[in-house]
Amino acid sequence: MEFNVLTRLNTAWALFQGLLLEALPFLLIGVLIASLARWFSPGGAWLRRLPAHPVAGPLTGAALGFALPACECGNVPVARRLLVGGAPVGTALGFLFAAPVLNPIVIASTWAAFPDQPWLLLARPLGAVLVALGLALLLRLLPEADLLRTDLLEERRLNQPLASVSLLERRAGVIGLSEDAPPSLPSQPAPTWREVLQHGGREFLNLALLLVAGCALAALVQALLPRQWLLAVGSAPTLSVVALMLLSLVLSVCSSVDAFLALGFAAQITPGALLAFLLLGPVIDIKLVGLLGMLFRGKGLLLTAAGAGLLVLLIGQWVNLWRL
Amino acid sequence: MRGVALALWAVVLRQSSVDGRLDLLLRAAFHPLVSAAGGVLLILAVAQVLAGLRSWGDEPDRASRQDRRLSAATAAIAALVIALPPNPSFADLASQRPADDTASETLSFVLPPAQRSLTDWVRMLRSQPDPQLFDGDPVRISGFVLPKPDGPPQLARLLVRCCLADATPVGLPVRWPAGDSLPRADQWLAIEGRMAVEDRRLVVVPERIQPIPRPARPLEP
Repeated sequence: MEFNVLTRLNTAWALFQGLLLEALPFLLIGVLIASLARWFSPGGAWLRRLPAHPVAGPLTGAALGFALPACECGNVPVARRLLVGGAPVGTALGFLFAAPVLNPIVIASTWAAFPDQPWLLLARPLGAVLVALGLALLLRLLPEADLLRTDLLEERRLNQPLASVSLLERRAGVIGLSEDAPPSLPSQPAPTWREVLQHGGREFLNLALLLVAGCALAALVQALLPRQWLLAVGSAPTLSVVALMLLSLVLSVCSSVDAFLALGFAAQITPGALLAFLLLGPVIDIKLVGLLGMLFRGKGLLLTAAGAGLLVLLIGQWVNLWRL
Repeated sequence: MRGVALALWAVVLRQSSVDGRLDLLLRAAFHPLVSAAGGVLLILAVAQVLAGLRSWGDEPDRASRQDRRLSAATAAIAALVIALPPNPSFADLASQRPADDTASETLSFVLPPAQRSLTDWVRMLRSQPDPQLFDGDPVRISGFVLPKPDGPPQLARLLVRCCLADATPVGLPVRWPAGDSLPRADQWLAIEGRMAVEDRRLVVVPERIQPIPRPARPLEP
């Protein structure tokens, strides 16, 4: 039975509205909490006292996600604050990569979307911690100077104790400045409610625009892509994991709502592919590349993408061995 | 401008709660959430407008010009969503989906045959697959016409766990009256008749077929 193009587009438009109306309240909750966290702005000496242990550091960072729940777009600015404030790199990376999944809102929306799949409620946070830990260990191989952007590194060194940074590395803040103007010390007065409001409003609209694009793409894929095509890809164990990883890169939807998008494909794909979709998107996707560029140099970004892809593929494969 | 954009999005959420759009798109459990989010956005929008009035007349810098473009773009999308209500073809949607998978959902109690909805019937047959048990039972169901590639059209409903994106179809075969032309796809029908066994499966034998408009709450949980 073939339906004409107009009918198809009508259906796609309805799917788009369904996805959008479902996701917008969750996006709003995320933005509200991120704004509140901004109000009680994190900063100060406690950042430098976070553990620097290669394993305990990222785990602590991941646990911070419960205190500062935001989806991955809200996370990048917070992770930058952590790095500038002098927090250990591993801890900040653990937060950056795991917190988009390891927070109450994302877990609640995953549960709302998949009430009949309790294993996912455990596997998603666990997988996210594994990926974050793996990436934090992997990125330790790069020296800080190759990993982080130069401007970020300079600000960071201002906040590190002198004993841990050599005089040659520290270009500003001591006698013998470079000719560049020293970056101003990040003075962080508590923002006024008006600033918080403005920031929150802008963030909501920014993210809503990305959400609209993601929902539109998802609706078009759902309505126009022949079902046999998705089924053929979706039932092959390895191919389905790779295909859904690519899809999560392209869709670039926030972690607080991606579970609802995954629902649309969930019936046609393997469980490993479903988990891979839910794990990879929060760590890296097309929309995030720009945001992560605020933190990493090219090499760091490349290593993050490759490492995340490999780890998620392995986890997806393993889940397929276990669940199929 | 940002206040206007936020207000438009608030209208999208509030209006879709009022005009029945949500009944068509989302499972009922999420309706209060959407409505509440609309209220919060409206408060935010008013606060933004008030804050914007105070800084009225400031020279716009680059960031604020970018800000205006963002607000204009999102406002335009919100206006489009308000102006064009959804009108999905359930038959088209169902033809894109794999067969229903409601085996895990069991009936909590058993209604008398004439009160069972189409979905109740499908679930009943799943938990009690012997068609002989239901031979001759009276049927009063409604649903939309779902064409099948391998046979005559069925009468179907969409099951939704979350929103339209995860809808899966459930259908019952119907013995359409001989001589009449087959009903067109997407037409909503109310059927009264009896169950009969045909090729060892249950079919609905209609005594009365009446076209009806799409019900206000077309989705079944």
